[in-house]
Amino acid sequence: MPQQLAIIVLVDVGNALTSNTLDGNTYLFDNMKLHGSENQGTDGLVTAIHGSYWRDGSQASEQVLNWLPYSLGSIPPTVPRGYEVERARQSDEQALAELQDLAAKSTVPSADAAAELNRIRKTVGTRVKTTRRTRGRMSGQKVVDITGQVVTEDATAAASYPAPVITDIYGEAVDAKIMYPAEYGSPDMVTDGWYWSASVDTSRPGTYSYTMRIQLHRLAQTNGELRWDPVNLTCSSALKITSEPRRNAFTKAGIGQLPIPTTPPAQRG
Amino acid sequence: MSGTKSQVNIIAVVDVIGALSTKSLQDGNLCMMDDGSGNSSHQGTPNLVTVVRPGQTVSWTALAVDLQTPVEIKNISFVPANGQQGQRDQSGLQGQQQGQQGQPGAYGQPGQSGQTAYGQSTYAPGGATGHVASDRGSTAHDQEGGDPASAKLDLDVWTGVVPSWMARGVPYTYRLELQMYDGVDSIMHVDSPALMCQ
Repeated sequence: MPQQLAIIVLVDVGNALTSNTLDGNTYLFDNMKLHGSENQGTDGLVTAIHGSYWRDGSQASEQVLNWLPYSLGSIPPTVPRGYEVERARQSDEQALAELQDLAAKSTVPSADAAAELNRIRKTVGTRVKTTRRTRGRMSGQKVVDITGQVVTEDATAAASYPAPVITDIYGEAVDAKIMYPAEYGSPDMVTDGWYWSASVDTSRPGTYSYTMRIQLHRLAQTNGELRWDPVNLTCSSALKITSEPRRNAFTKAGIGQLPIPTTPPAQRG
Repeated sequence: MSGTKSQVNIIAVVDVIGALSTKSLQDGNLCMMDDGSGNSSHQGTPNLVTVVRPGQTVSWTALAVDLQTPVEIKNISFVPANGQQGQRDQSGLQGQQQGQQGQPGAYGQPGQSGQTAYGQSTYAPGGATGHVASDRGSTAHDQEGGDPASAKLDLDVWTGVVPSWMARGVPYTYRLELQMYDGVDSIMHVDSPALMCQ
């Protein structure tokens, strides 16, 4: 079919980070079940691609694949992109209000005030440290859980993981020039402005494997500072390409006259 | 007429999600357009009347508005001469299209029998050609190993030549069947578009 086809790469980020592997923690599925894709919803997806060719052997249909990484255990990608920033700002405002309140109430330092300050500190949450390596969307932001609440360093287990990022697609299908993947800029916020896409050469039927390099992020804590450490893992999938000749749908062979009745139809009223 | 194109392209643009949601190709879920040089009418609607001339090639294509949804042409068949659905034309059609096994435009046969009639008995001039074509069709399906025929619709090229016997000024309505993915509700049709010779 000439339409674009989607391959969803759903990663259980927490478990993948714990076991340090994507095996068993990745769920791949595509919209080509009708064409015979196999092992949908597992990490062993084989994507079926139907190609076609004209009578002279030239390719008759184009196939475009799009990979969309999703995360289990994260704020849904459909939430507006500024959501985390907005939540961080709200927590700042709340903390400021509480600090003013505290300052008005007590002029003398006390144990109560210290406890209150500690509580406010938790309200404020923790910003992720920015390093040259981690500069980008996640840097300088607060860590939030999947309900959008800010997270402090003693409660990071609840943190919402950044969505997985595909950083490369390579392997047999690429080496054999069966598909030509590349990363494209996109106005689509669901994929954070970037997505991997490939056009497929359907002229050489067969099953070709490929590997995706996927970057996850682990929340690390050093000296009371939080930062997202990148973790690079890989998972594999395959394309099963078939190709068949195009045929005239009316004759099932070459072009012929249209199957129009020899007696004119009754006129439309 | 000078400037007549040798080919007229008809495009059926389908809002697949809209069509499947309302189980209808009406209400803007299907728009048909052609690029013919004649004075076609009702462009952009399912009532498109495409003006053609004998000898011209007509080509139909289906496109999805939302690119990742599948839509293919399942069948195109012309209304039998008596214009009544559910009845096969026993008088003229069968005699003149020799050797044909079952007529296109065998309207109103729902379910499996209708599907078989539409899918496998398509028109080909001449008995021998028709026979071969029919064999070829079933072989292709057998090789599928039980795959639904719908999985192969993308191989179909809906192209044909306008015959010389069309009466002028008369719209020959046809049934356009579209298949959106698979399943019992995946096939929908309209009977409103037409070809008309000027």
